[in-house]
Amino acid sequence: MPKSLFVDPAATLAAGKIAFADIPVNAYKKSVRDELKEKNYTKGDLVRIYRDITILREFESMLSQIKTQGVYNGIETTYPGPAHLSLGQEAAAVGEAYLLGTDDYIFGSHRSHSEILAKSLSAIEKLSDGELMKIMEEFLGGKILRAVEKVSRPSSVKELAVEFIIYGALAEIFARENGFHMGMGGSMHAFFLPFGVYPNNAIVGGSACIATGAALYKKCNKKKGIVVCNMGDGSLGCGPVWEAMNFAAMEQFKKLWEDGKNGGMPVIFNFFNNSYGMGGQTRGETMAYDMLVRIGAGISPTLLHAERVNGFNPLAVVDAYRRKKALAENGEGPVLLDVLTYRFSGHSTSDQNAYRSKEEIEAWRELDPIVTYRKALVEAKAASDSDFEGILAETAERMTKICKWASDAEISPYADFKKDSHIIERMMFSNERAEKLDDRQPEVITKKEDCAAYAKIKEKIRTVTTDGKPTPKLRLYNLRDAISETIIDKYYEDPTLISYGEDVRDWGGAFAIYRGMADSIPYSRLFNSPISEAAIVGSAVGYGLCGGRAVIELMYADFIGRAGDEIFNQLSKWQSMSAGILKMPVVLRVSVGSKYGAQHSQDWVALCAHIPGLKVCFPATPWEAKGLMKAALNGTDPVVFFESQRIYDVGEQFREGGVPAEDYEIEIGDTNVVRTGSDLTILTIGATLYRAADAAKLLDERYGVSAEIINLHSLVPLDYTKIIESVKKTGKVVLASDACARGSFLNDVARNITELCFDYLDAPPAVVGAQNWITPPFEFDEYFFPQASWIIDAVNEKIMPLKGHVPTANYTPVEQLRKAKLGV
Amino acid sequence: MVNMAAGVLMPKAGITVEECMITRWEKKIGDRVNIGDILFTYETDKASFECESTAEGELLEIFFNEGDDVPVLVNVCAVGEKGEDVSSLRPGAAAPAPKEAPEKTADAVPTADVPLNEQHAKNDGELKISPRARNLAEKSGVDAYRASPTGPYGRIVERDIVTLIDSGTGSGIGGRVLPGGIPAASSGTASAPVDGGEYEDVAFTKIRQVIAKSMTNSLATIPQLTHHHSFDATNILEFRRSIKASAEKLGLPNITLNDIILYAVSRTLIKFPNFNAHVTDGDKLRRFRHVHLGVAMDTPRGLMVPTIFNADQKSLTEISAEAKALAKQAQAGSVSPDVLQGGTFTVSNLGSLGVEMFTPVINAPQTAILGVCNLVTRFRMTDGEAKPYQAMGLSVTYDHRVIDGAPEARFAMELISYLENFTAMLVE
Repeated sequence: MPKSLFVDPAATLAAGKIAFADIPVNAYKKSVRDELKEKNYTKGDLVRIYRDITILREFESMLSQIKTQGVYNGIETTYPGPAHLSLGQEAAAVGEAYLLGTDDYIFGSHRSHSEILAKSLSAIEKLSDGELMKIMEEFLGGKILRAVEKVSRPSSVKELAVEFIIYGALAEIFARENGFHMGMGGSMHAFFLPFGVYPNNAIVGGSACIATGAALYKKCNKKKGIVVCNMGDGSLGCGPVWEAMNFAAMEQFKKLWEDGKNGGMPVIFNFFNNSYGMGGQTRGETMAYDMLVRIGAGISPTLLHAERVNGFNPLAVVDAYRRKKALAENGEGPVLLDVLTYRFSGHSTSDQNAYRSKEEIEAWRELDPIVTYRKALVEAKAASDSDFEGILAETAERMTKICKWASDAEISPYADFKKDSHIIERMMFSNERAEKLDDRQPEVITKKEDCAAYAKIKEKIRTVTTDGKPTPKLRLYNLRDAISETIIDKYYEDPTLISYGEDVRDWGGAFAIYRGMADSIPYSRLFNSPISEAAIVGSAVGYGLCGGRAVIELMYADFIGRAGDEIFNQLSKWQSMSAGILKMPVVLRVSVGSKYGAQHSQDWVALCAHIPGLKVCFPATPWEAKGLMKAALNGTDPVVFFESQRIYDVGEQFREGGVPAEDYEIEIGDTNVVRTGSDLTILTIGATLYRAADAAKLLDERYGVSAEIINLHSLVPLDYTKIIESVKKTGKVVLASDACARGSFLNDVARNITELCFDYLDAPPAVVGAQNWITPPFEFDEYFFPQASWIIDAVNEKIMPLKGHVPTANYTPVEQLRKAKLGV
Repeated sequence: MVNMAAGVLMPKAGITVEECMITRWEKKIGDRVNIGDILFTYETDKASFECESTAEGELLEIFFNEGDDVPVLVNVCAVGEKGEDVSSLRPGAAAPAPKEAPEKTADAVPTADVPLNEQHAKNDGELKISPRARNLAEKSGVDAYRASPTGPYGRIVERDIVTLIDSGTGSGIGGRVLPGGIPAASSGTASAPVDGGEYEDVAFTKIRQVIAKSMTNSLATIPQLTHHHSFDATNILEFRRSIKASAEKLGLPNITLNDIILYAVSRTLIKFPNFNAHVTDGDKLRRFRHVHLGVAMDTPRGLMVPTIFNADQKSLTEISAEAKALAKQAQAGSVSPDVLQGGTFTVSNLGSLGVEMFTPVINAPQTAILGVCNLVTRFRMTDGEAKPYQAMGLSVTYDHRVIDGAPEARFAMELISYLENFTAMLVE
């Protein structure tokens, strides 16, 4: 809602109608002769297209035979992983890749073997021998190259590169150490960055938001090339795909972004339309669009330059890409392509094809490009039949050879977990430190000192008392300031840093983290996103894995559900699924609500902490917030950064001297001893810290119990050293947070304490969580969220009866059992 | 095939026996043994036995020393012909051959200075105590059983042990400081003679350990006190005299005063179910429908208490005969471990040793014990004249958790009435 855009009631309410331009459907009409005549190709180019198709076809046939018969050309082998084959779709993949260079990125789906190989073969053709050797030498330290060189006698560097790429892909599918990702990605996660082959994705439509983020990276950082997002027609049933297309087509790119950055997103949403979403027929059964290409009209006035193309004719696809690529490069994107093709094999090798007739498959087989395209080339005298027979023989021979290498445990060993049980452990986090991800000058509108937000924060008082009197609220440096200050600092340090989310620019974010930054930070680095949580997180994943740093905001933790796949499957997994090749410098800020009822007040740290691959923080004091945000922004790992709305305004109450003005980092994983004591340890997460502090005070005053409080500002990773030290000292521990008690992360901590400190415990650790209910309206907060009195009640009931204490909350075993039985 | 020597197993000397201690080897390596020859003697916590060889040949190897605790059904030695392989007969590596590592075997017998509470912790799961409190008690050498629990659900927690330590009492019975309670002082600063010739260290026997444990447990956990009574023994003395006279003629068993008391107790107990009972779980009473009378006996190995089961259903002569048989077995150390448990009430007679009054210790989990004292001559004023009579003392210790003073007095009155009118009661 920028003020520069006037929502004119007269224009808004004026009568009229929308007229749509025509959307081309299979408009390509040229013959091979026409193309030769126009000198779009040499004969050699046309033959090479055929060669590439045969390589893809042979690759998929090989996997089909391995999966169904356990043997390929006499080589007995198999593997347990998936084989979502693209038999029949090869010509479309080769046509797409033909014009793309290594600066152009493709993202894929679960059915992307052909796309990976086609894009790689295209890159091999375009790169010089020197460039190819350099790439192969540098990739994984030359490990794959060494394996291939040992057994191969290639006639040329290009041939070596072809063998290299097929071998690396197959070894990855076979889960061998020599795979592109040391076998940790597998069939649905094989890719090769140096050739511009970016991740494919086992989640249907999973690449849409990520590819959009990659395009955002190119756009914001002025990188060359476009991004192609390959998906199937079935993915249009997925919300995040629509979110991605809308995000990519946002009008602000053209209307509001500053000069030099304005213009459409350089992305092509390429749907390989084989008419089936697994077994469901998209056109006529599961979708409403009739023709997929129609949806372009639903996204933007450009209709996304949508076009339907015959993917059985590689030249038709090349033709489309020649035009669409130019559009994307010239700031006219995004583009939508509906590339018609057909899958001869099942969805996977276990698919019995119960949903389609033999006649249908046969009818499409008659149009199989491997037959029809060859025929067209022979007719156009581009090559002779014997040339093609030679190509087929050469392809089969090469594939047989590579299959032998990839299935041979000597040449292609599996990762040895017995020898090194930490293989995957090392891939889970990159744990690197990178203060900036590019060396260029950060693009800003004003100097940092002139940034309104920054100036205001600098004037604030960083201690809760001034001359013995409480610092006035409006002058107090609070938790919000700590986060803002650190982000501003990073804006002026790392040119790749961008921030976005709902209402972050003019509004300053629902909780004012960005207030006062809009006049200093340009649109391209701080912008409002649509209300599309999946696209917000998914695009940040793409932005991060391409090499940029993103800080994104989800207004409420409750909205994590809307970005479930993007957080739990994408943000968390790409570092390890790529065997550490990709980095994920993304900070996802989510706030835990207050006063807004059941769908706006949930503490969901446990969900994030449960998923391997995410770092999880929840600072509860300004000192923690600043140090942790700094660490998150200096790192290269995905961090889910929880903030509690209840305490944005608190000053630093626990640390002598308040919050330092200078830079400092708190190691993610450390814990914060905010109060020392000798009789009882209270562990807290989030805003409950302040209620625990009240409880500690009461315990001291009324019962003479000296409580130590340790705030767990980091959940993953978590260093238990100080916790164990404290529990060994006190022997008694109560854990409290605002999360519902069932499945709370505190239970995990309590279990570890029990195991690690059992002999020192004077009572089992007591967990105090919120009720296992909906969060009721604010008026009833005291019945739902842990209160200071609950903590004391739990101590009294479970740890040590307190003389004269009259409990208000019921922590008896009978009550515990009753609640568990009822599931509340 | 190589001929194999045979192993001789440590027998299982009762249903509940898990391990036995070798007391003495009767054969040494190289001796010829026949099937049935005594190889060694061993004892359980309650009785001692002889182990006969189950194989014939030469005693080739001994796997355990005297004093070693050996799990039942484990090979103790190998018997066979010279040169035969015994390697597969050796118990697992944990059991060293006696000659190779003799010093190691000393560990097998717990020594007397193990703090009491450690034994409780190991053997008695009933003590509700937090790990931290238990550690502190062990470190400080105080007996956790003496702590008053203030934790949730009756659990002893750290502060309870701290209170106990602060109260300045030791870990021993009645607050005496046990060796475990002053670990540093006992070995370091005490002016005990250094010369080993001044004293002799004797490890507790298995039986001694059990007695020590059960006595400590009883006194530490049961609030018990003793009433002393006296009764006119004229009637039972006359009865015994008459039986003794005719016994020789009629070939009847020799009925002792103790038999008479056992009989009277068995008949009285049946009317006082709280005295014929066990305390279970600290807060429940298990009252038995029959009387299983424990009879405390002094034996060369120490105190043993075999049981006369269903004494209330047995005649005087049956009780007498059974008591004599048990005494004989106890003296010989051959009483079955299964008879050494299951008593519901115990009678301890020190009268014959001239004890005039004592405080018998309850045999937990029983609720009371009767101590029988010696005969003394007392005078009773009859018609203004002091007339002498033989009186016998009875000391009844009872668990005050279960039994109050007045009920005990009623029980004693009933028993005394039975004994003072014994002849008439027999007719009943």
